[in-house]
Amino acid sequence: MNRYLFYIVLLNMIVNVIIFVPKILIQYRYEGAVMGVIIAIPIGVALNYVYSTTINKFPEQGIPEIIANSTHRWLKIIHLCSIQLIWFTAGLITLVGFIDVLARFINPEMPKLALLVIYLAAIFLIIQLPTQRVMYFLEIVLFINIPLIGFIILSAFTNEYLSWDSMLEVGTHIFERPSLKSIAAATYCFSSYSNLIIFNRVIKGKLKIWNFIAIFFLGIFNLFTAFFIPIGFHGSDGAQQYLYPWISTADSLRLVYSPIERAIFLFLMFYMSITLISISVNWHVSLELIKGTFKDKVSKKKNWLVLIFYASCSAAAVIYLNTVLLNKITIYWMICRFGFEIFLVVLFFLWARRRTA
Amino acid sequence: MPSNKVQSIQESITSKIMHPEDMVFKENHTKEKYMEVLYIKTISDEAVLHENVLKPFFEITGSEEFLNYLQSHPKISEFESEQKTIDELMRGVAILFYQDFVFLFDCKIDRNNAVMDTTVETTIQGPQVGFSESLPVNLGLIRHRYPNTSLKVESTEVGRLSKTKVMILHDTKFADPNTLKRVKEFLANVDIEMFQTGEQLFDLIRKSNRALFPLMLVTERPDRVAVNLASGKVILLVHGSSYAVILPTVMKDLMSSMEDIYQTYWIAKFLQLLRYTAFNLSMILPGLYVAVSSYNPELFRVQLAMSIAGSRTGIPYPSFVEVVLMLFMMELLTEASIRLPKAIGPTATTVGGLILGQAAAEAGLVSNIMIVIVSFVAISNFVVPINAFSFTIRVLKYFILFLSTIFGLVGVVIGFFMILAYMVKLDSFGEPFLTLIQSKPNKE
Amino acid sequence: MLSGCGFKDIDKRFFVMSIGVDVAKNSPKKYLVSLKFAVPSSSKDNPTEFMIVSEKADSMAEAVRIIKTKVDKEIDFSHAKVIVYGDEVVRQKENEGINYWFNRRRDIQSIAWIAIGKPSALDVLKVQPKSEYIPSNALFLTLGRDGSETPYVISEYIFDYKFRLIERGIDPLLPIIEAKKDILEVNTVGLLNKKQLKLILEPEETKLLNFLRNREEKSANKVSKGGTTIVIDTHKVKTKYKIHTPKGKAPYLMVKVSLEGIVEEATRTVPYEKLSYFEKAAEKKLNKDIENVLMKIQKANIDPIGFGLRYRSRHFNNDDWEEWKRIYPKIKFKVQSKVQIEDTGLIE
Repeated sequence: MNRYLFYIVLLNMIVNVIIFVPKILIQYRYEGAVMGVIIAIPIGVALNYVYSTTINKFPEQGIPEIIANSTHRWLKIIHLCSIQLIWFTAGLITLVGFIDVLARFINPEMPKLALLVIYLAAIFLIIQLPTQRVMYFLEIVLFINIPLIGFIILSAFTNEYLSWDSMLEVGTHIFERPSLKSIAAATYCFSSYSNLIIFNRVIKGKLKIWNFIAIFFLGIFNLFTAFFIPIGFHGSDGAQQYLYPWISTADSLRLVYSPIERAIFLFLMFYMSITLISISVNWHVSLELIKGTFKDKVSKKKNWLVLIFYASCSAAAVIYLNTVLLNKITIYWMICRFGFEIFLVVLFFLWARRRTA
Repeated sequence: MPSNKVQSIQESITSKIMHPEDMVFKENHTKEKYMEVLYIKTISDEAVLHENVLKPFFEITGSEEFLNYLQSHPKISEFESEQKTIDELMRGVAILFYQDFVFLFDCKIDRNNAVMDTTVETTIQGPQVGFSESLPVNLGLIRHRYPNTSLKVESTEVGRLSKTKVMILHDTKFADPNTLKRVKEFLANVDIEMFQTGEQLFDLIRKSNRALFPLMLVTERPDRVAVNLASGKVILLVHGSSYAVILPTVMKDLMSSMEDIYQTYWIAKFLQLLRYTAFNLSMILPGLYVAVSSYNPELFRVQLAMSIAGSRTGIPYPSFVEVVLMLFMMELLTEASIRLPKAIGPTATTVGGLILGQAAAEAGLVSNIMIVIVSFVAISNFVVPINAFSFTIRVLKYFILFLSTIFGLVGVVIGFFMILAYMVKLDSFGEPFLTLIQSKPNKE
Repeated sequence: MLSGCGFKDIDKRFFVMSIGVDVAKNSPKKYLVSLKFAVPSSSKDNPTEFMIVSEKADSMAEAVRIIKTKVDKEIDFSHAKVIVYGDEVVRQKENEGINYWFNRRRDIQSIAWIAIGKPSALDVLKVQPKSEYIPSNALFLTLGRDGSETPYVISEYIFDYKFRLIERGIDPLLPIIEAKKDILEVNTVGLLNKKQLKLILEPEETKLLNFLRNREEKSANKVSKGGTTIVIDTHKVKTKYKIHTPKGKAPYLMVKVSLEGIVEEATRTVPYEKLSYFEKAAEKKLNKDIENVLMKIQKANIDPIGFGLRYRSRHFNNDDWEEWKRIYPKIKFKVQSKVQIEDTGLIE
C-alpha cells in the first residue's frame, strides 16, 4: 500500500517534535539554523525519493533478501552490521530520551529502570511480530493519536499568547551561514524512509509522485512547528533556556473546556504510545536484519539472546547517560547518521543500477 | 429362517452391547416370514417402528414383496460393517434381521426439537427465534433462511467417547478454501473425550490450549448464521447444542450485533461507536482511577481532585486495594446473578445495588467515586454484544489495573497498547484478528 | 515495592492552591513565603477549608523544605494556580531566584497566574470571599476570565511572564490584586522593566492597555459632548500598529483602533442623527487618552506592548536592538481611532 510509506515517514516526523530536534535547532537559532532548515528540506525529500524509488524496483523484499544473492560475503556482513548498529542506537537514543522525559514530568519518583522495564516488555512483544503486523499496529496507533496531537498543535497555533513577532525575529536571521549540526538535525525528520530496508516487504504496488509531494509539505509543516512554535511561546531569547522546548510549550497551553486542563498530560500520554511504536519500528528493523544475516533459520534461543543483549544495552544506557551527556551524544550521533545515510543511499542506488541494468 | 451369516452377526452384536436393560430383541413370525428386531427402546421411536415395519410385516403377505418393501423404504439402509451398525444402534437405529439381509431402520427419537426463543442475544426488533437442540431441526432452520444450492453441508464426528455429530456448513461461492481447509484440519486434530458443545473448542484453537480471546463466535440465532454464511464464514452445528459456531471470527464480528442491520445506517454507526467506547472505558477506567488518584492527581481539574480527596477521607487502605475490593464484589454479584433461582433474583440485585454500594460508602469502606466508577465499568461491560468477549474484557481490566498500580499513568497507556499489540498478533484461522480499519489483504 | 515508585494516595497529599511571596520584616532572611493549602471536606455541604502556612527564608527552596516539616502530608504543587508577589518584593531588584524557581520545577503549571498583591501577598491569600467553594477559586475565576469578563483585569501566565523577562523588546506586566476585607479587587496593572516595578497604571489606563493588546472586547466607554454624557458598551475593539521609520524624518508609531458598540447609558435621549457627533467626540477622546497612556509608559522607558519586538522582527540588521533603544525614547505616537456606534439600545 502506498500509504504505508506515508505512515513510516510520518512516524519519525512526529517523534522528533518532542525529543531532540527542537532543542538542537533552537540552540543554533542565531547561528544559521533557519537556513539549515531550508536547506534540509530539499535534501531530505531528495533522499526520500531516490531511496524509495530504488528499493521499489525490488517489490516486496527487504534488504536481506535483496542482497542475499550477492557474492561479496564480507561486504554484505559489514553493510548489514553497520545498519543494524545505527538502527539499534536510533531506537536506543529515543528510548533513553523519552524515559528521561517521563521520569522528569510524569513519574518523578520512580526509578528509571522501572519505566525501562515496562517499555521493554511492550517493545519486545511488538518487535517479534511479523513485519506486516507491525505495520498494522503502526496504522492503528497513528489513527488513534493523530487527531489528538493535531488538535493540540491547532490550539497552539491559535493561542493568543503565541507571539508571531518573536518567530519573525528568528526568521530575520535567515541569512546566517548554516551549521552542519542544524542541517543534520533537520534532516532527521525525513530520515525514516530508510526503515524501508525491511518494510519494503509490505509495500505493494508502485510509489506515486504524490507521495513525495505530500512528504514535502508535511516536512515543511513539521519542521516549522517543531522549531518555531516554542519560540513563539517562550521568546526568541528565552526558548533556549528550556530543556525540552516543546514539552514546556505544551505545558503553556490551557484547554479551557476540557476536563484535563493542562495540555501537557494529553500530549505526553499520546507521545508515550508514539515513542513506543517508533522504538519498536527501529528495533524491529534491527532485529530482522540480524535475522537476515544468518543464512539459516534463527532458533528461539538465538532470538532470546539478541533480546537480552538489547535489554542490557538499554539498561546500561539508562543508568549511565544523564540528560546533559545524552544531548551531547545525540548531536554527534546525528551528524554521523546524516553522513552514513547519504553514503547508504548513494551506495544502494549505484548497486541497484548495476543490478537491474 | 435367517441365514447363518446373519445369525452370527446378530449374536456378536448382542454380546458386544452387553445386554442393557432397555434393549429389546424380538422375533416376529408370520406364516412365510421371519424377522428379528433389535433396538434400544429408550432411544428408538417404537411408534414409528410399529407403523413402518411391524404393521407392513403383518400386512404384506409375500416374503419377496416384503423384501422389496424393506429395500425401497427411504428410512432403511443396508448393513455395511459391524462397528458402524453398533454405532448406529447406540444412536437409536433399529436393526432388522431378515432372511439374508441385515437392515438398519432409522427411528431415532428427537426429544429436544423444540425451537426456542432467543435468551442471550435479544434484539429489539427482528426475528426472535433461536436454535433448538436437535441437529436436523437446526439445519432446517438455516435452510429456510438460506435456500441456495451453493450451501454445502458436510458432517464429521468429534469426541472419542461422546461421538458427537458435527456438521460443517459453508457457501462455496463466498468462503475461502484455505480457511475451510484449516477448519477441517483443526476439527480432525481435536483430541477430546467428551464434546458437548461448540464452546469447548475455544481453548482448543490455540496450540497452547490456553486462550484469552475468543476466536470463534457462538450464536443461537439462525438469522445471524445466515448473514454470516453470506459473508463467507464457516458454520459448525453440533448435535445436542443450541449454539452454532461461526469461524473465523475477527474483532468486527465480536462487536457487532444483529441490530446493526435492523436499524438505520446512522443509528447503527452510533451504536457501534457506543460499543467501542464502552469496551475501551471498561478496560481502562479502574486503572485510570488508581493512576490519577495515587500517582498524578494533577491530571484533572482541581475541583475533581478535591472531590476525590474528599470522598477518600477516612478510607483505611490505599486506592488500589479499594478498587480491587469493589471489583471483586462486583464480580461476585455478576457470577451469582447467573445462578440465582428466579424467586430470589430481584432481592439479590437490590441487596447488591443498594446495600453493598450505599452502605459500604457510609461505613467508610469505599469512596463514593469508586462506586460510581465500578458501576460504570460493570454496565459498560455488558454493552459488548458477544458474551465471550465481555468475559475477556473483564479479565483484561485487571491486567491494566495491575500495571497502573505499579507504573502509574505510563502503565495504563502502555498496558492498553500492549493489549492492542497482542490483538494484532492474533489471527483466527488465517485472518488477522484486528481488521478494524485496514482492508483485508486477500480480497485485493 | 510501591513506595519506591512514587505511589502516594491522594488523601496523603496536601494541595497548594496559591503561593505568596513577601519581604520578610524584622528578620535577617529575605523572603516570607506563604502557602495556602486546601483541606478537603468529605461531603458536599461544607465548602473546603483552607490553611495558610508561612515561613521566612532566603530562598524559595529553603522555605518549602521548612514548611514540609510543619505539615503532616506531602506538599503537592500540582494545583497551584496563583502566585502572588507582595508589593515590596516587586519593588526590589534581585528577584531572579524566585522568578526562575517557578519555571524550573516541573510540577508548577506553566499556566499558573501571577500577580502583585497589595498591601502584601499574605493579606491577599487570607481573603476568602463567601462565594468561593474551593480556596482561591475566586482568584482563579477572576484572573482566568472564566467568571466575570472585564477589561480592567490583565492576567498573566508564568510562562508569559518569563517570556517577557528575557525577551528584548517586550516588558513584563502584572495585575495588582488589592485585598479589601472580604473582597478582592483587581483593576490596576503594574508595569515592570526587567528587574523591578516601575509604574502603576490607573484603572482607565489599564483598560486602554488591554485594548492595545487586543485582549478585551467588552468594555464601557464614557463620552461627553455638549452636556450629554453617554456610555458606549463596546463589543468589538481591534487595534493595529505599525512602526514607521522614514529616512531623514523623525520615526513615528501609527496606531489604528477600531471600536464598535451600542449605547448603554445616556443622561439624555440620543436621537439617531446625533450619533455621528458622538462618534467623533468619542474618537477624539480615545485618541488623546491612548496617546497619554503611551507617553506615560514611554517616559518610564518600558514597553509592555512589544513595540521593540515588532521592530526587531521587521528588520534584518544585527544591531536592530541597539537602534531601537535609541529610537524608543523619542518616538512619536499617532493614534487614529474609528468609533462606530451601531444603535442606541432598545430605546432612544
